[in-house]
Amino acid sequence: MKILIADDEAVSLRMLERTLERAGYEVTAVSNGREAAEVLCRPDGPRLALLDWVMPQLDGPAVCRTVRRKRSQRHVYLVLLTSKSSKEDIVEGLESGADDYLIKPFDPGELNARLHTGMRILELEDNLLEAREDMRYKATHDSLTSLLNRGTILELLTGELNRKQRDQHSISIVLGDLDHFKLVNDTYGHILGDEVLREVARRMLGSVRSYDFVGRYGGEEFLVVLNNCCAVETAADRAEEIRRAIGDSPIRTTQGLIPITMSLGVSVSRPSDTLPLEDVLCEADDALYAAKSAGRNCCRLGSAGRA
Amino acid sequence: MPDLLARVDNDSELLTELLALFQEDFPRLRDALHNAVHAGDPLPVEKAAHALKGMLANLSIKHGAVLAAHVEAAARAGDKREIQQAMAAFEGEETGLLAAVDRFMAGGKP
Repeated sequence: MKILIADDEAVSLRMLERTLERAGYEVTAVSNGREAAEVLCRPDGPRLALLDWVMPQLDGPAVCRTVRRKRSQRHVYLVLLTSKSSKEDIVEGLESGADDYLIKPFDPGELNARLHTGMRILELEDNLLEAREDMRYKATHDSLTSLLNRGTILELLTGELNRKQRDQHSISIVLGDLDHFKLVNDTYGHILGDEVLREVARRMLGSVRSYDFVGRYGGEEFLVVLNNCCAVETAADRAEEIRRAIGDSPIRTTQGLIPITMSLGVSVSRPSDTLPLEDVLCEADDALYAAKSAGRNCCRLGSAGRA
Repeated sequence: MPDLLARVDNDSELLTELLALFQEDFPRLRDALHNAVHAGDPLPVEKAAHALKGMLANLSIKHGAVLAAHVEAAARAGDKREIQQAMAAFEGEETGLLAAVDRFMAGGKP
């Protein structure tokens, strides 16, 4: 665990450094408050700190206030270590944002115990953040394919349509539907159908740019948002790439190779277009229907694209 | 030095290193305190006495730390007469402190 110690008094600094190194900490030692604040505010800075109160440039409480103001991502456990020992000093120190307060000269056993308390709190915070991130991921992604779920892809599309008008760029969407997927489920069972869907998702993600969005729109329907894709031909080419990525080689499953194809409908929204989300989706849906009617395993453009 | 040796977990190498730091820093801090007292401004006196108090306490030089704390408290109260009295007591101790550390570092008993 990384720890920062800040003290302008050489004896105290060295004694702390050695005590903490012996306890297994990776110690960064500084001798003024400004440097301490700078190190602690780095994104990869230590999350444990022992700060003297009286220091040049910035005192301990000012370091606490700076860190609390600037660094918001993860909590930094700050301990003031000082010979100021009045009740007023302790209150002022804690009010400045310190988590704990130790009186000099420190007792090595007590110091280590209090730092362990700090580490427990940081660990608790890490667990909570991890759980929150896990919940956020589950709420926004499809559990089977790990693609964005329907609600999230539509929310992103709504945001991109608004941004398109403001920033004067184009967006294309591609609605894809696996051909005869019901037959796969009926023939091989839903477990294998799930395997196919997972591989289709992987292939779709592999055939778009990192700043495009891919979501599972329904059972075997997928929606792709191609950001800043203005030319109709480009959008059609991109859809064709996706089609080939899905259909060019059969999917390897636990029950052997399964051939699968996808029909795709494309809708291009130019900066001047003011179509609402529903109409954009409807256009892509009509184009998808046209692709199905044309014999499947092909792409078709919506009416705006043909104009 | 038994208290200090216990605090550094019987690490005699560290003990020597800390006392060397004391030999180097103590005269500077002491001079800063003397200069501040002569200048007559309580705030620098308080800061210098605070620094000395911390250093002495860390080295388990308890009596010296208490005397420095008296100077600090008098300066915080802005009581010049009390500062002079506390300084006199501290000055009575400081020469002996350095001499004891010097003897220890030279291999003798403190």
